[in-house]
This record gives sequence, C-alpha cells and structure tokens, in this order.
Amino acid sequence: MRFRLSLLGVHLVLLVGGGIMAFPFYWMLATSFKSPQEALQAQPVWVPERIKPANWLKAARLGDSPFFGGLGPGRSVALFFPGPEAPPPRALVPRSPGAFFDPVADGTKVEVARGEGGWRVRLTNTGEAGFRRVPLVVLWPKGAPLEPPLPPDALRSQGEYWRLEWVNAVPGALGYVFHNYLEAWNAAPWGRYFFNSFFTAFTQVAVGLFLAALAAFALARIPFPGKEAVFVLILATMMVPGEVLLIPNYVLLARLGWLDTYYALIVPWLASVFGIFLLRQFYLSLPQDLFDAARIDGAGYLTQLFRIALPLSLPGLVSYGIFTFLGAYNALLWPLIVTQSPEMRTVQLGLQAFVSEAGSDYGALMAASTFVILPVVLGYFVAQRQFIQGIARSGLK
Amino acid sequence: MRGVPLHLLLGLGALLTLAGYAHRLGFLPSAVVGVGLGLYGVLALWGLRFGLRHALLLLGLLAPWFPPALFLAPLLFAGLFARNFSEKDQGAFYGWALVWPALALLLVWHVFPTFYAFYLSLFERVNFLRPAAFAGLENYRILLQDPLFWRALGNTFWYVVFTVPTGLLLATFVAILLNTRVAFLGLYRTLFFLPYITALTAAAAVWRWIYHPEFGFLNWLLRTPGLDWLNTPTGVFALLLRPLGIEVQGFWAGPSLAFVAVMAMSVWHFLGYQVVILLAGLQAIPKEYYEAAELDGATFWQRHRLITWPLLSPTTFFLFTLGLIGAFQVFTQVYVLTPTGGVLQDTLTLAFYLYNKGFRDSDFSYASAIAMVTFLIILALTLVQRRVLERRVNYEV
Repeated sequence: MRFRLSLLGVHLVLLVGGGIMAFPFYWMLATSFKSPQEALQAQPVWVPERIKPANWLKAARLGDSPFFGGLGPGRSVALFFPGPEAPPPRALVPRSPGAFFDPVADGTKVEVARGEGGWRVRLTNTGEAGFRRVPLVVLWPKGAPLEPPLPPDALRSQGEYWRLEWVNAVPGALGYVFHNYLEAWNAAPWGRYFFNSFFTAFTQVAVGLFLAALAAFALARIPFPGKEAVFVLILATMMVPGEVLLIPNYVLLARLGWLDTYYALIVPWLASVFGIFLLRQFYLSLPQDLFDAARIDGAGYLTQLFRIALPLSLPGLVSYGIFTFLGAYNALLWPLIVTQSPEMRTVQLGLQAFVSEAGSDYGALMAASTFVILPVVLGYFVAQRQFIQGIARSGLK
Repeated sequence: MRGVPLHLLLGLGALLTLAGYAHRLGFLPSAVVGVGLGLYGVLALWGLRFGLRHALLLLGLLAPWFPPALFLAPLLFAGLFARNFSEKDQGAFYGWALVWPALALLLVWHVFPTFYAFYLSLFERVNFLRPAAFAGLENYRILLQDPLFWRALGNTFWYVVFTVPTGLLLATFVAILLNTRVAFLGLYRTLFFLPYITALTAAAAVWRWIYHPEFGFLNWLLRTPGLDWLNTPTGVFALLLRPLGIEVQGFWAGPSLAFVAVMAMSVWHFLGYQVVILLAGLQAIPKEYYEAAELDGATFWQRHRLITWPLLSPTTFFLFTLGLIGAFQVFTQVYVLTPTGGVLQDTLTLAFYLYNKGFRDSDFSYASAIAMVTFLIILALTLVQRRVLERRVNYEV
C-alpha cells in the first residue's frame, strides 16, 4: 500500500511539473486560434470558438469553397440571422483602416433583406477579382435575441445596437480555423525565410559532418607528426567563447564582401570543434583489429574512413547532425548581425521582426511562433530516440 | 622510399593560400607572403633531389595568379604517387591532408578572430566610416569605469546564482523521479524536453505574451492585474524587503523583476536538456549500489545523498560548467523579451551589451574590449572551478 501511494505521488509530481513545462505550448496553440477579442481578455479563454467543431460546420457554409472560402467575382453569400421583424439590423463592410479592414474587399455590395423568421445579410462581389476575405460588421438591435450564423470575432456595445464584427465573413472551414495562421503567413515572405533557414542548417550539417569526420578520423586513427599540436590547438579554440568571434568575424565578412549572403550565414560555422571531438571519441572506441584487418586487405586510410569508420559511427553522426541543425535553425544573434535585407532573413529573424511589427495581434504572433517551431517538434516526434540519445551523448565524457 | 616531407609542403601551401587571401583583403603585408613563397620554392627544389617528378611541386609557385595552387600541387603529387610512399610518410600525409580542411576553417574563423578581436580593441572607435587611431589599453580603462559594463556583469552574476542551482536542483529531482522506472516515461520525458528544442525566439515570444501586463496569463494566475513584469526595474530583493521596511540599493537590490522573468523563462527552456543529461548519468550508476543500500536499510534520502549525489557529480559538474559559460552568452531571450535592454538597462547582459556597442553604436573596438574581458573572466572562472570543484568530483563509478 505504501508503495502504491509513493508511486501515485511520483506520477502526481511529474504530471504537475510536466503540465507547467507544457503550459506555454498550450497557451501558444490556444492563442493562435483566438480572435483578437478572445486573446485580449483579462479572464483567460481556455477553448477558443474557432476550435469548436460546431463552428467549423457553420463556417464551411460561408464562402465559395467549403474549406478555403473566398468570394469569386459576381458571387454572393448570405448570412442568416434569425430574429424578429423590427427593428431591422444594419450591415456594412468596414472602410476605415484598422484590424477589421481590407481594401481588397472594397467592391462588396451589402444588402439586408427580411427572410423567413429572420434577416438575411447578402454579400455580393461586384468587382472583377475574387478575394479571400470580406470583413463584415453587423449592428444588431439589443432587444432581439442574438443567434449569429457564425460566432463573431468581436462583440461590442454601440448605443442601441450590438456591434458584431467578423474579420472574414467568407472563411470556409479551414480559413475559419486557421485564420491567424493565414494572416501570419501572408504578412511576411515566410517561404523564403524557411528556405533560408533550412538551406543554412542543412548545408552546415552536411559540410560540417564531412569536415569533422575527416579531421576526427585523422586525429583518432592516423599517426602523423604534429598530431598533438593540432589537438591542442583545437582544444584551445574550444576555450574561446562565441561572442569574442562576433565582431572580428563580422569585419572579416565585410572585407570579403560576404555580408548579407548565404556565405555569411554558413561558412563561419562549418568547422565545429564539438563535432570533431564527438566523432574522434567514436572512432577511438572502435576496435583497432578492424582497421588492422582492413589494412592487411590493402585498404588505404580513405577506404578505412569511408567504409569502416563512417558507417560504424552513425550514432555520433546523428548526434552531431541534430545538434548542428538545432543550433543553426534556432540561431538568432548571428543572422541578426550578418544579414540586412528581408530576402536573407532566417525564420528566427523573421519571427523577431514579426514580434516587433505585429503589435497587439497576439493570435497571429502565436500562430507564427507555432509554425516556426513546428519543423523541429515534428522532427522530434519522428526521431524521438535519436534526439534524446543524441543530446544525452553530448554529456558523456 | 624517402622523399620530401610532403605534409610540410601541404601545410605550408595551405597556410600560404590563406595568407595570400589575407594579403588581398589587407590583413597581411606582402613581405610575409613573399617569404612564405620563397620557403615553399626552396622546399620544392630540395625535393628535386629525390627524383625529377618532384618538379610537379613547383606548380605551387603559380600561387600569385592562382592561390589554391599552393596546396593543390602537393595534393596532386600525392594523388599520383602516394602508393610508393612508406607507411610512415603515408600516415603523415593523410593525417595532415584530412585535418587541414577543418583546421584551415578553424584558423580563419576561430583562431585568427580571437587575436583580431584583441587587436581591434586597441584602437579608438573602429568602424567602417573612418580610419582608426591607436589607443592602447584606453578602451579597457574606460570599460572598467563603465557603469553599464558593471551592471551587465552584475546581471550575469545574478543569472548564474539564480538559474544554475535552480535548474540543477529541479532537473536532478525530475531525473531521479523519472529514473524510478515510472510508467509513461516517454511522455514525461517529452513534456520536459520539448522546451529545449523549441527555438528561443519563439519561446521568448510566447513568454512575452504570458508576461503581458494587461492580458497576460501570469497576471491572471497570480491575481496581480497590471503588473508589468518585463518593465519593472526594481530589484527583487528590494521588492521582497520593502514590506519589512528595509530599503536596499544598487547591486544588493538584486536582479530586477524583469530580469528574473527572463531567468524563469531560461530555466524553463534549459531544464529538459539538464534532465536528459542527468538521466543518462543516473542510468550509468550500477543498480547494485542501491540494492545493497536498501538491504542495509538506507532511506530514500540517504540513498540519494550517499550514492546518487557523489556518483552523479561528474555530470553535475559538467552541467554547472555549461551553465556558467552559458550565462555569459545570454542574448536571444533578453533581446526578444526586452528589446531595448529593459527600463534603465536593467536586463542588460554582457552579450547584449556587446551587441549594443558593436552593432547599434558601431563601436567595434569597444565591443571587442568587452569581448576580451568576458573571455578573460570565463577563462579565469573555468580555471578556478577546475582547481576548487573538480577535486570534489568523483569520476569513478
């Protein structure tokens, strides 16, 4: 009985601790689905309207496509508000610049007509081009019961009326749920940022691995004059903290004319002391007999490296690869220093710019944070064991 | 076959190629390159004694037109004739040939910048706008009287004092619980580990939202509406002691509330890493020790104080060192949470101050001086730590 209790205690403590650790993720996800009004509440909203399935069905009926919505030229969409005959509601597409304003939707005609048991707000695209979203404001008399066809993104009081606001009256199901994601994605060239980040990270991993494997093999397995000196030199560079290198490397890049290029993002970090040490450790742990046998069979050093040492050190390579990828993908300071133009920004830099530009649009900000961390988190779930062991290995001497 | 020391020629060639580029960029006087080329020529000519084919090495003298020729010539030579080398010569050549790519990159992007940073710090306001004047150690003299530098150093001190023990204690606790072969180990480990692999930029953006003065979750949780966590420059000790009627000033007021908020976020972020490393350390402790202790009737507390703690000390020591060095490089979370360095620069860290001086004020020499002093402090701390702490670390299992 005592045993059971203590086990329960362990689970309880771990659950509470894990909950605290995971809470920021939940909060990020929850906020990323919130409308601006839901996000800016003193009382937290735990489950935003947009992730309730009942609302997805409602949203799927609005717009041309059930998934992505939109309003093609000449098309129209009707929103039905059940309610009494008088007084009539008013509806408009907001024209004044602000959070609920979209100049593209300017040519939309709004009609309010009496239907069976309620009011029908009909939006018609009179323009030449289709658009993705139409903001809508409906003023609904306060006396009448309020049953909107889709929960409004903001509900305010305006004199005799409730002011119902939608950021998009034609969302479609996905457009409704992922509204903030679409807004965030369209606010900056994220595709380019992601390309920059992945290109930088993968190049660093691939070239870095190759160089580190070469050097580590030489240091572990080839007797050559001056080996100790090289080893001590490499050891010594490990003592130098990264921030010492910021200024001189920046000056060096400037003289090379490499600022604001991929070279600046990649080249200074290609040679990794950490990788050399890690792989050297691996190669040292391989039995010497293996190499002797290969040597007798006439294998040169290069054959030994590529046919024996590299395949056998796969865990070390993975470990190094994960570390380098994380370091490159998550880096902020270095890209911040060496790039200026928006085309050369990495995702972290793009996110940082977005943080300072997005202002109070926390939904979009959290959506951007979500898709920035998504690739790494997905990678973790795909290769959980490699991640954990790869990281754990860095602590073993 | 006895021959020229080809690895020397290769090394000389690689160095000279770097020197050639350095000369083009204006880092080196031409005399150095000239002397080096002469040396290479003499060595290559001396090689002619061992056979006429060594004339191939003289191709390296094309360097003034094509710098890489200097190391490509020995490589080409080895590619053609390596089979005839003695075992020893082969080792020497391949060892160096494999080490050089990584070594060259390290020399250019790690070793040279370290010295160049020191060189830069001896000038008066180096930037790209005008030629700099030699100032000797003036920058260091100013630095020692710079209140902002001392503030940054003080903050780093508090960062270490607050985050390292907190993180280690929490992580050890969690690791011990996880090591009890608890069910759902994978789930718990993921919960604790995920923050570490998420990008600091995104994580900091989320925490900024949690710390929001009006709509932040934390203020709702603690029932402290309007508390502006990230813009409160008052020290936490001062805040805690104020109700008791004690006023503390300056350094002893402790880190500002804003900086403590930054620290809390940092502990959250790095906890998973520490847990994974400690868990690996715990799993390396033989189970027999615990079984024997249990037979002797040791309590939970005794088991962990007398077995776990001493046997885990190498891992703890490693994490402590890492935390200490990491504290001097804190930048990203501060930059995202408090982009201006906080009210009255109360969240200034050394790395952030360096960034401000170097890339906002364009004062490369002063920034380099900060970098060098940081380097010295880290070096001194590491040495002291080795002396004082490592003696107590128990490496045998």
